[in-house]
Amino acid sequence: MSDDVPLRRAAPHGFLPIHTNAFDRVFISVVCFVAIHLFWMRFLEQDISLYVATVLSVIVGAIIIARG
Amino acid sequence: MRPQSVGWLFLAPTLLILAVFGVLPFIYVLVVSFFDWNSFAADPTMRFSGVQNYRDLVFDTGFLMSLWNTLKFGVFAVASEIVLGYFLAQLFMRNFPLKGFFRTIHTLPLMIAPVAVGATWRLMTVPGLGPIPYYLDRWFGYDYLISRYAGQAFLTTVVMDVWHWTPLVTLTLLAALSSMPKEPFEQAQIDGANKLQTFWYVTLPLLKPAILSAVFIRLMDAMRTVDEVWMLTGGGPAAATRYVGLYIWRVVFPKTDYGYGSAMSLITLYLTIVLCWLLYAGLVARRDLRKPE
Repeated sequence: MSDDVPLRRAAPHGFLPIHTNAFDRVFISVVCFVAIHLFWMRFLEQDISLYVATVLSVIVGAIIIARG
Repeated sequence: MRPQSVGWLFLAPTLLILAVFGVLPFIYVLVVSFFDWNSFAADPTMRFSGVQNYRDLVFDTGFLMSLWNTLKFGVFAVASEIVLGYFLAQLFMRNFPLKGFFRTIHTLPLMIAPVAVGATWRLMTVPGLGPIPYYLDRWFGYDYLISRYAGQAFLTTVVMDVWHWTPLVTLTLLAALSSMPKEPFEQAQIDGANKLQTFWYVTLPLLKPAILSAVFIRLMDAMRTVDEVWMLTGGGPAAATRYVGLYIWRVVFPKTDYGYGSAMSLITLYLTIVLCWLLYAGLVARRDLRKPE
């Protein structure tokens, strides 16, 4: 093999069942963020504050971006 | 000038147009969705209301029902268009007398404005005037009245959409079929594959990008259909064909509730993007999670 060919790092395999890049994972995080908030407002907000949903969404988003 | 700068320079006009006509309106609607704003109310000023519009929205049974109806409409219409479009594309791949003429006739609905399509179908389905109720009653004794029966109204909107947009799918698939390489089919023939196997293992995988493109375009269109249905049924009977576009239109224009309308628009956009993305992820980007043996 020629030395000129740049070495490419293999894409990391996360827990998501699809091939993703950083943009995909940010997109999935945003989708989850919105979905969690809508679900929370519909079913849980009477008992638990929406801020909990925000914290949960941020944690889920961070996990998806880091390990997805 | 660096090559990267030249690339950005060439992209600049497109990015500018995208920003002005795509990104800025989106940001504006996003901002408005967090406000209570009714220009004809006693207090016509914009008042910040946080996520109240979204909170109202998830409890709005009318909106949720319209979303569900739109989803059903989209699934039925797009699935029918893809199947019918594929068969028509296969038909136009063969040679038969007056093929060019029929292909032109078949493409004509694409050139008609949606409002005109809705008006035409309205005229065809009006009892006492239109031919469809007349012949259905005369030949089959079928009581066809879309202003009374919800199921008939729904089915008629699906058929109208299929009539209007199948040519687009046909043309897309026809272009894909025309540009297919012959070698895989010859190999399948040599291997003794029957017609069904050839379709499933050769034609369908080769057609997948074109089918996906057609599904995405049509699904996005179906999710925002307004004018055709408005002309045909006006959203009725009751709310049977009040698809989400019509529902938003009623909130934004007659009721001038801009904040709530913006929130509904964004949720509809969100659902459309998620649906298309799920399709893409399921059919294209999926990877095998099984561990290698």
